[in-house]
Amino acid sequence: MANDLKFLVVDDFSTMRRIVRNLLKEIGYSEADEAEDGVVALNKLRNSSFDFVVSDINMPNMNGFQLLNEIKKDDKLKHLPVLMVTAEARKEDIVLAAQQGAAGYIVKPFTKATLEDKVNLILSKLGMK
Amino acid sequence: MNTGVPSSSEAAPLVLSQDVHQRIGTLTRQLHDSLSGLGLTDKVKIWAGEIPDAKSRLTYIARLTGEAAEKVLNNVDQAKAQHDFIAAETRRIGALIVKDPVAAVAKGHVMNFITDVEEATKHIDKNLTDIMMAQDFHDLTGQVISKVVNLAASIEQQLVQLLIFTAPTEAVNKPVETPAASPAATFVVHEHPVLQGPVVNPEANPDVVKGQSEVDDLLASLGF
Repeated sequence: MANDLKFLVVDDFSTMRRIVRNLLKEIGYSEADEAEDGVVALNKLRNSSFDFVVSDINMPNMNGFQLLNEIKKDDKLKHLPVLMVTAEARKEDIVLAAQQGAAGYIVKPFTKATLEDKVNLILSKLGMK
Repeated sequence: MNTGVPSSSEAAPLVLSQDVHQRIGTLTRQLHDSLSGLGLTDKVKIWAGEIPDAKSRLTYIARLTGEAAEKVLNNVDQAKAQHDFIAAETRRIGALIVKDPVAAVAKGHVMNFITDVEEATKHIDKNLTDIMMAQDFHDLTGQVISKVVNLAASIEQQLVQLLIFTAPTEAVNKPVETPAASPAATFVVHEHPVLQGPVVNPEANPDVVKGQSEVDDLLASLGF
């Protein structure tokens, strides 16, 4: 069941999108799409069905905080778990992400084990695994 | 060296030195007045503070790319060793099967070979994952490079303004040829101004976390 979940990976660096997608595939989630910023992500989220969002913060056009805010404001999207994966390591950013409704926060550089732990933990909390 | 001063005059070097000092003083005053006139004094102070930051950012890039290269090469070495092992074992078990297929199976050589190959492929898979993860330096250094390019572009812009402000009238009126865009100018800079990007020196900054465990502790303290 959980392996059928569809992920949206949002990051302005294509290398990082590819890494996250490959890691998700390695940990058992092969259904994933990509977006290079918050605007593209929001458009995809509103026009297709996703179960999980993995998002960077520092992006052009619409950053990760703005995307998170838009997702949580949208009645059709607010149930989506959003895991922030970012190089932003300020404590105030982590607190802000939590207050805005992020389901988890990973600082770059990270490991496969960290991503796997956080994704599985979030899915377990939501009863999706 | 021809200083343009008659060597026969003993007082000449002293006069020249005073003249040079006066000229430097005048230029310094003009520069100071120009910077003040353009409101750049405060910006120069900011640049002075940002140059060491830019240096530490460039050092961070050098360190990160160096570590990534080292990690890739180490993993390639390990994967190649495993690959060589599989190749050698395949040749050995092939020879055993050709020589006596029944004995090769009965004595467990084939089963041992399968187990060894499975173990070796697990190691190689981990090596490949680690090589992939090492490429994250592209994202992290890219963000840091954007910041340094921003700083260089800002200083360049202010210096050009200063040049225009202090240039003789005839030079200002002369049409200026626009140079082709430099690589730095065409670099895509798209960071959000309030965001900081990768922390190049976490030990010096108490407001940032130093790793994932600190993130987890912070979130746990908030009830997450």
